[in-house]
Amino acid sequence: MANEPSPQFSSSVRLKYVKLGYQYLVNHILTFILIPIIVGISIELARVGPDEILSLVRFLNDLDLIYVMSTLFLVIIVGTVYFMSRPRPVYLVDYACFRPKPNFRVPFSTFLEHARLVPQFDERTVRFQVKILERSGLGEETCLPPANHYIPPTCSMAAARAEAELVIFSAIDELLNKTGMRPKNIDILIVNCSLFSPTPSLSAMIVNKYKLRSNILSFNLSGMGCSAGLISIDLARDLLQAHGNSNALVVSTEIITPNYYLGKERAMLLPNCLFRMGAAAVLLSNCRREKRRAKYRLTHVVRTHKGADDAAYRCVFQEQDSEGLTGINLSKDLMAIAGDALKSNITTMGPLVLPASEQLLFLFCLIARKVFKVKWKPYIPDFRLAFEHFCIHAGGRAVIDELQKNLQLSDQHVEASRMALHRFGNTSSSSLWYELNYIESKGRMKKGDRVWMIGFGSGFKCNSAVWKCLKTVKTPVDGPWSTSIHRYPVDIPAVVKVL
Amino acid sequence: MEILATLTMLLILCSIYFLWKLYSLQRTTNCYLIDYVCFKPPPDRMVNRKTAGEIIERNRTLGLSEYKFLLKVIINSGMGVETYAPRNILEGREASPTFDDALQEMDEFIDTTVNDLFKKTNISPRDVDLLVINISGFSPAPSLASRIVQRYKMREDVKAYNVSGMGCSASLISIDLVRNTFKSGKKTIALAISSESLSPNWYAGKDKSMILSNILFRTGGSAMLLTNDPAMRARAKMRLKCLIRTHTGANDNAYNCAMQKEDDAGFVGMHLGKNLPKAAVHAFVENFQRLIPKILPYRELALYVYRTIKQKVVKPPGKGNMAMTKIDFRTGIDHFCIHTGGPAVIDAVRRGLRLSEYDTEPSSMALHRWGNTSSTSLWYVLSYMEAKKRLKKRDRVLMITFGTGFKCNSCIWEVNKDLGDAGVWEESINNYPPQTLVNPYLEMYGWVADETEETFNREARVEELRTLY
Repeated sequence: MANEPSPQFSSSVRLKYVKLGYQYLVNHILTFILIPIIVGISIELARVGPDEILSLVRFLNDLDLIYVMSTLFLVIIVGTVYFMSRPRPVYLVDYACFRPKPNFRVPFSTFLEHARLVPQFDERTVRFQVKILERSGLGEETCLPPANHYIPPTCSMAAARAEAELVIFSAIDELLNKTGMRPKNIDILIVNCSLFSPTPSLSAMIVNKYKLRSNILSFNLSGMGCSAGLISIDLARDLLQAHGNSNALVVSTEIITPNYYLGKERAMLLPNCLFRMGAAAVLLSNCRREKRRAKYRLTHVVRTHKGADDAAYRCVFQEQDSEGLTGINLSKDLMAIAGDALKSNITTMGPLVLPASEQLLFLFCLIARKVFKVKWKPYIPDFRLAFEHFCIHAGGRAVIDELQKNLQLSDQHVEASRMALHRFGNTSSSSLWYELNYIESKGRMKKGDRVWMIGFGSGFKCNSAVWKCLKTVKTPVDGPWSTSIHRYPVDIPAVVKVL
Repeated sequence: MEILATLTMLLILCSIYFLWKLYSLQRTTNCYLIDYVCFKPPPDRMVNRKTAGEIIERNRTLGLSEYKFLLKVIINSGMGVETYAPRNILEGREASPTFDDALQEMDEFIDTTVNDLFKKTNISPRDVDLLVINISGFSPAPSLASRIVQRYKMREDVKAYNVSGMGCSASLISIDLVRNTFKSGKKTIALAISSESLSPNWYAGKDKSMILSNILFRTGGSAMLLTNDPAMRARAKMRLKCLIRTHTGANDNAYNCAMQKEDDAGFVGMHLGKNLPKAAVHAFVENFQRLIPKILPYRELALYVYRTIKQKVVKPPGKGNMAMTKIDFRTGIDHFCIHTGGPAVIDAVRRGLRLSEYDTEPSSMALHRWGNTSSTSLWYVLSYMEAKKRLKKRDRVLMITFGTGFKCNSCIWEVNKDLGDAGVWEESINNYPPQTLVNPYLEMYGWVADETEETFNREARVEELRTLY
């Protein structure tokens, strides 16, 4: 009885093979059409005999030289113009993430102890924060900046600048070492940091430290939330289209120091529990010589802004509570709004990346539902056919679960996001780069693999970027996971008891 | 053979198509300024002489020397009595600004100015493809760019950028961002918004280098609509010819001369160092060295090269001689928009470029009427020129700004058609330039120079002030 497969199982297996066959047929349709044509032509040639072919060759020899030359010239012009009008490819030469030192670690016990000792928190507030931490999916090795280790935390501007210097400079130092890029060769600099924007800007701080050129194009983006990393990549891509032979340095970070909330509003205490320090520095280029050593090529960036909807705009909102303390209020319908934003993003992304088979199925299903009013469920295209790896912003456990459900991904696909959340916490815009490093460190990144990075952020925005791997990444990888990758993946329980 | 003829025909058609595509791509890389609107705050936000003095008097931590210093700064500021400040400062709550104060300040600006701009140009917010906003001192989450998307229900695929912390030269940085995005060839309409947030940035301490920013900055803002669509060329006011950005942050003195930090007592303020003018001059010179080839006509350029060679080779420069070779910039530029950083800035630029009073009148008058409105000041200056009917077709306008970092950005616009819209100067243009330049603050506060610690009686002075007006 146990050996006999159930009828449902057999039918689903049969269905699976039918589906595979259909996909193979549609995606390789050109090959299937060309083969009979080639066979037909070769049969025709064989039938016609060598004489006809020789007469054709003699005819070509008789043509005017001028005619041949002008045709050749025309072909060259068309070819040049075609290649010139194509958009410049954007290569990711390399990237580096900030590696926090063990003395910045905030294990659950430290978090609890500090929360208890901070005079502004009463017992109820402490219990609430710890309850969130227990269910957050964070591990014991996440890090907070030095200012947050004081009791109470010292949130001065000087401390914030110190944290910015620490995380940003160490990421950039590592990147410049890895790539051998000289600071004077950087043409574009884009920095994004949501919640800390001093004057002069963080981009000016980087120009000062590394003595970058005076004609550098620098931009400092602020307030744009956890998806700002992909916004910076989009801006870098636009700038690299306008300027040839250029290198762009993109720095994504979030400065935790000035944003510790010392009040009692529950919705505003969540960021205390989830946000951790991190930074990433990425080197993009459109120089042809960088193609040889570049790791990835940027193929698509799709940005969706749901700000026109009032609920979406207010779901992640920085404001002052009744006591005048500033914090970030996360609303309860955050998940629903995130799902909605993702759907909009997929609608634009789908036609760009999905293979023809999936698009046809989706179209067919859509027509059936809308035109013929057939009661079918909306067809969710299988994105696993379009991408090998997924980097989902490690905003929190709930976000990753929601996306896994929406996109019908397996546990292995979201493993990078879950493990990055566990090891580093929610590092905001730089989290995607920690996740990418996880996939590389596990030796899963092969040449030709496509990676989908999805970021969510306040506004409410959903941005995605698609990268194509240009060469297999060999392990061991020197990165933020060097010291811990052998311990991962870990099983993360639903609740980790602290209290 | 017919096949060969057909193939050739196909090839010719293909090449024509590709060449036309390349040509149309080039055409859409121009940056046109369709229109712009400057913010005119309501009359109850005006800072007159009495208010200015009251605000200073209120700050009890200040002693006589600080008081003297501030009043001297106001007297020499070049500002008149019709500038504007945020509500919380006028209402006496400058030391304890709330988040809502800052948002309200922004909302008041956006609601009037951006609405006016859409009405004037007859463009719908849903047509906007690119939104860039630069506001230095306030950067909430979600960003102010998202706030605008929400307010005007813009499309989902709008590209929004929120630039922050980039100082008084940020307006041209936004224009640079727009210009670079335009080069992709896709027809785009961009909305650029420039302002400064003053409510949350009041300095409540005693450090003289930091109090300056309390006194010097005023409320202002502007919104601009730009496009690269050649079909809108006829409606556009100006076309961007070039934009040069210079960042001297690599030099430590330049980077540290204007820095937001905490003083010894822990109050956050904007420290303006004594070497700021020198840093500004360095940045200015470097920017102009790159700008000169783009603005001067060939004859003047040749003369410049000749004079430089003569100066450097025949007569080597003396010690510390930073003076540029004599150039007449008015051969290449018709109008000059100088950032209204203060009379010192305007005078320095006038001397450096050898301009006349007429050339710097728009900047001085904008400073007088609106104060130092930070990154948005250029647009008030431009509006003055337009209101005075100075801008004629094919005129070239040069904009120069300075900002923390230390940055100097400049750009050149070519006027597309004769302009005459008075805009934000409509009610006041007839009073400018004023007949007398007697400083109104000098009249009221000039006595401060004569006071000493013994003679100074704060309470008596405050009472006098209250009864006088």
